[in-house]
Amino acid sequence: MTLSPKLRERLTIFFMLLPTFAILVGFYLYPTLYNLELSFTDITLLKLKRGGDFIGLANYWEFLTSDSFFAIAVNTVLWLTGISVVCRLLLGLGFAMLLNSQFLKNIRMTTLARLMLLVPWATPPVVAVIAWRWLFDPTHGPINSWLLATGLIDDPVAFTANLATVWPAIITIIVWNTTPLIGVSLLAALQTIPEELNEAAAIDGANRWQQFRYITLPYLMPTISVLGLMSVIWTFNNFVYVWLTTGAGPGTFTNVLATEVYLKAFVDLRIGYSAAIGVTMAVVMAAFGALYFRFFGLNEMQEKVG
Amino acid sequence: MARNFGRKLLISCAVLASTSLSALADDIKISFRFNDSERKEMRAALDEFEQQNPGIKVDLQTISWKDSRDQFLREAAVGQGPDVVHIAFVWTQEMAEAEAVTPVEELTKYGAFSNGFNDYIATDLTMYDGKAYGVPWSADTWAMVYRTDVLHSAGIMDKPETWDELKEASRTIKEKTGNTGFAFPAALQVWFPVNYYLWSNGASFITQDGKGGYKVGVSKEQLAGAMDYFKGYVDEGLAPRSILSIDQPHDPALMQALLDGKQAMAMMPTNTYRQLLSAYEKNNPGKTAPFDSGVMMHGTNAPRTHLGGRTLVVNSNTKHPEASWKLLQYLASAPLFEKYYTNQFPAQKTLLSQIEYRHEELGFAEQLANNTRTWGAYAESGVGVGPLWNTVSRAFGTALSGQESSEKSAEKLIAEIERMLAK
Repeated sequence: MTLSPKLRERLTIFFMLLPTFAILVGFYLYPTLYNLELSFTDITLLKLKRGGDFIGLANYWEFLTSDSFFAIAVNTVLWLTGISVVCRLLLGLGFAMLLNSQFLKNIRMTTLARLMLLVPWATPPVVAVIAWRWLFDPTHGPINSWLLATGLIDDPVAFTANLATVWPAIITIIVWNTTPLIGVSLLAALQTIPEELNEAAAIDGANRWQQFRYITLPYLMPTISVLGLMSVIWTFNNFVYVWLTTGAGPGTFTNVLATEVYLKAFVDLRIGYSAAIGVTMAVVMAAFGALYFRFFGLNEMQEKVG
Repeated sequence: MARNFGRKLLISCAVLASTSLSALADDIKISFRFNDSERKEMRAALDEFEQQNPGIKVDLQTISWKDSRDQFLREAAVGQGPDVVHIAFVWTQEMAEAEAVTPVEELTKYGAFSNGFNDYIATDLTMYDGKAYGVPWSADTWAMVYRTDVLHSAGIMDKPETWDELKEASRTIKEKTGNTGFAFPAALQVWFPVNYYLWSNGASFITQDGKGGYKVGVSKEQLAGAMDYFKGYVDEGLAPRSILSIDQPHDPALMQALLDGKQAMAMMPTNTYRQLLSAYEKNNPGKTAPFDSGVMMHGTNAPRTHLGGRTLVVNSNTKHPEASWKLLQYLASAPLFEKYYTNQFPAQKTLLSQIEYRHEELGFAEQLANNTRTWGAYAESGVGVGPLWNTVSRAFGTALSGQESSEKSAEKLIAEIERMLAK
């Protein structure tokens, strides 16, 4: 029996995709479905061997109607994600523009500046948090020493224990550690913009701002959009920075969804409840991703710019 | 000739290697998970155990205390985990409920206790469904620690005895020396001072209701009063605000302040105090440590702290119960506490009675002997010490940091404990 060329082609595609499909099912789909199943049960770490009982949507209802839900949502969406992503994108764009500027080339600092930008990015988040905690330390930290020496403050500031400073402190650490990736990515995108466009615009009388607004920014928008999406998803789900900096405290002041998942699963031992929070986070991010693509129309933008 | 010699040498080496390998293969390998800081000393102790028990090799594992409970529960649920584990007293019943640990009666067939099981203290905390599931290993509690020279420089010659006197002494020290009087870990481990405060004032987070059940044992006013008491240290500037982010009594910020004489009073567990004393003596050879210990503060009632400690358990998944039991018995023996695990008190009455306390440690001895209680209803009610601890610490954190008023935090905390009890 001979197979038709079309069928042969389809079979080839199928078998070539099979390993990838198997890996995705094994490492992504199965844990996701298992997590979903757990979220409908009352399973705890003490009942792992016996398994939990089905309780329907009770975990979701309890979480979404809990007293702490609103505060946790605001912390996650506004502070952890919103403000930190905007700061990173703006600073990253600034760094990219600076690194691509004639000024740095003139003083022959381009390579050094690019290397310096990479240092925070190369620092593991755990190390970054520990280093910054020391910098913020009220007793021995250099930031407080400097602020005291310059007379800007009279008493040391407990940056990670004071309600007014704790979120800015966390955001500082995140921005320091992750902005270089944005900067380097935008720098790569900047270098693809044909120089002739700016030259032509300058001849036509466009000033620097107009060149940036009507040439540079449209070229960068696809990259900015993708980086924005990635940063939002990555930050929304991030656990390390908040947990290691403040342990979700003082009290519950910096508790975010990811730390709530940890606290419920491994302190209160409620695996089912914690799974429900995890599923809620995944649903929120999936919805955000869909809206984001729709809003930014990434494909169209890519086509426009070429 | 030379070729023959080389061949013989090769064969001899091969025989030797295979003999050694087979000897190694015959060794029973077990693992012991130990989370305290005395890892070097514990390794030396295990080396001694291996010498005494040829054929048993022990792998020493370490994990942070913070993660050790859930890590072991996860491992045990899937048939994994170390053979012998040291856990907190109050986790034993949870571990038994999770079927993660072996009942002691199944292990005693491999050898009886030298002084009987009743020689151990707090055995009630190891009981689940009428069976013991662990062996109490070390006993500890918290007591007050004083830097006497700082107290004297502020003109305080008598140690405070009540919570109010403690705060008053802190005010005096701040005013006269600019140093911190009393400071405490106000994040996760605020749990301890808060409980001591409530217990010494006749309240408790959970108590028996007299009808075979459990109820919240503290009123909103009492709770808000406790929050205000500890908040006062931060608000009045008697302790640095940074304590709000300090989790542990052995946090370097607290320890260093005591070592430098910038803080006069603290509360801490036994092993932390012993570490403090040895750190001072190491930094100041030949000098007498200006530290003293004392019992916890009184409220309207006598001072009370918790009877804590570590329990040794054998994993229910162990393939070597006999070797594990041998190791457990070795770990609970007197020489271990004399030579290797010297920062801890043994949890056996006969060994406890033989301890010769240093003068500076007498406060701890008095506290441990006459002024401790177990967590009791917290564990027995089914709420569990861990979840209650987290809930209480967070609620106090919200009040102490000013995130919410003490009244509101207290009201919410009581509602949350009621919800936990109802579950």
